Amino acid sequence: MSTSQDTAGAEAIAGFLRGLGTGIGSGLDPGTAAERAASGLPRGLRDSVERAARRMRGDYHEDEWGFDEEFAEAVFPFFEFLYERWWRIEADGLVNVPSHGRALIVSNHAGSLFPFDGTMITGAIMKEHPLPRWPKIMVLNWAFVLPFLSFFMRRVGGLPASPHNAARALEQDHLVMVFPEGVKGTGKPFSERYRLQRFGRGGFVEVALRAQAPIVPVAVVGSEEIYPLIGNSSALARLSGAPFAPITPTFPWLGPLGLIPLPSKWRIEFCPPIDLSEYPPEAAEDRRLVFDLSEQVRETIQEKLYENLVKRGSAFI
Amino acid sequence: MAGRRILITGIADQWATELARRLERDPQVEFIAGLDSEPPAADLDRTEFIEADLRSPLLSRLIPATEPDTVVHCGIVWYPTAGKPARALHDINVIGSLQLLAACEKAPTLEQVIVRGSAAIYGCEGASPSFFTEDMARKLPLRTRFQRDIGELENYFETFSRRRADVTCTMLRFQPEIAAGLATPLVRYLSLPAVPTILGFDPRLQLVHAEDATGALLAATMNPVRGPVNVAPSGTISMSRLLRLAGRPQVPIPGQLFGPALSRFGRRGLGAGEVYNDALRLLRFGRGVDNTRLREELGYEPRYDAVAAAKDFAEKSKGRSIVPLPGLGALAGRAI
Repeated sequence: MSTSQDTAGAEAIAGFLRGLGTGIGSGLDPGTAAERAASGLPRGLRDSVERAARRMRGDYHEDEWGFDEEFAEAVFPFFEFLYERWWRIEADGLVNVPSHGRALIVSNHAGSLFPFDGTMITGAIMKEHPLPRWPKIMVLNWAFVLPFLSFFMRRVGGLPASPHNAARALEQDHLVMVFPEGVKGTGKPFSERYRLQRFGRGGFVEVALRAQAPIVPVAVVGSEEIYPLIGNSSALARLSGAPFAPITPTFPWLGPLGLIPLPSKWRIEFCPPIDLSEYPPEAAEDRRLVFDLSEQVRETIQEKLYENLVKRGSAFI
Repeated sequence: MAGRRILITGIADQWATELARRLERDPQVEFIAGLDSEPPAADLDRTEFIEADLRSPLLSRLIPATEPDTVVHCGIVWYPTAGKPARALHDINVIGSLQLLAACEKAPTLEQVIVRGSAAIYGCEGASPSFFTEDMARKLPLRTRFQRDIGELENYFETFSRRRADVTCTMLRFQPEIAAGLATPLVRYLSLPAVPTILGFDPRLQLVHAEDATGALLAATMNPVRGPVNVAPSGTISMSRLLRLAGRPQVPIPGQLFGPALSRFGRRGLGAGEVYNDALRLLRFGRGVDNTRLREELGYEPRYDAVAAAKDFAEKSKGRSIVPLPGLGALAGRAI
């Protein structure tokens, strides 16, 4: 940028501050004063000031779950960076995600500390689906008792993992994302990577059957290498109240730096939806059917995991 | 049902008084009696005031004598006040309800009992269903004294409704109310010039507009249904957005200090006794309930959803505006 442009920019900002000062001095609230003073600013900056002022007045939308689309959009660039540069994600089969109506997205789960796999599946849908929409992510309950994480997860579409929540969100025709492995998936040692754990009691199938929602199995490759789990300290877990305490090559040795996920290479594949509309909602009571369907989903994901591991080749380059 | 005879307990409570006022206008209602240990603050025309304590054994003679077809129990105290410390709450809520039910058993004219209960029975949890339906009560541990009291008195009412199957028992589970100038600790808290909140938490709230609180109580009195019914607006609103709408700055305080800080306010500014765990848990985790039963079975459609209730509160309480920030204007001027 040239010097003259720099000066013009500085002057615009000085003008803004002066306007803000007079505005507040004359008895306006800071938000309104900022909005009025912003008229002289360059367009991009003016939009941000206006948006900040509007949000300060509480003039924005949240859905009944506490999802705040503007907030999600504002933090999206960070996840986009992870998606494109850090993990260089290749996503396949997005046509399998229905563009409207309810669907249950079922994925393998890894990466211990933060549901990066959930946010990256969201990223794939938001970036590469022709009709993107924000899914509801069922997040391990523990996240919702932690400061900051609790409302951060909620504002980007996370819900406490509960069959009641999944059923209600499906009834509202949302895309709902579940990780049936739960903590067993995230807390497994590195040596067991990409080996799917038990899929709970198949509760996700019951929910899908009751809501008559198709199941879209998803295989995520790459998430196992971001925090290679070499140990699990039960003492530390008890101390912090966490469901497990990961020990990775970098955590907790490097302190907060150890929280930076390793830049593995990722692939995400969305499989063809499993249509459940042939079963009546009461089929959810049929234990045998629920287990069979659950096993079918598990096998599909496991197969796709191996396929994509081969396609990916080396884990980091 | 013409010529109805209605007995309201806890008539000095603002919601009970308001209900009586509305019932007085209804020609179908032949007789209204209000029972409490102190007279209602507002004047009521044709409500007969009976001075009696809910815990008094006299109740078992008083109530059958009024020959009520409906008893509306508004005598549950939600938070400690100057005259009713936390210790007394258990006695009033649990023992009082027990006495009332014992008296109701001896009233052959009785057809329905409506209780102004609390959604506190579901608790406030970080990790719980985002919307509790009526069948989810007691699925989570009852953590606070008030929760256990509510749980206990709900048990008594369930037992009563089994024993007197001819009586329709409605248990209304109210979310906390909101309206500008309402005399409750929560509304006084939200009206502070700067509102302390818990650092790192932003609870999802569902506050019933005062008008809907009365409306739902009236609807239940006129069209009783069996069992529990959640009374809540549709949707939810986060604390941060509510405070922004109301133009009140947030002062985030670390969790451990929040309780003591609020207690200091509690004794003076909020007119409550010590702030107790229920309030703290609500302000940390929030709570949402499902109101389908209220809308479809009880037939009451709330006029305000969670956001509209908050906006109405914000608009009408704006008069007491935020503290002026004289330093900020000068600071911005000086920066140039």
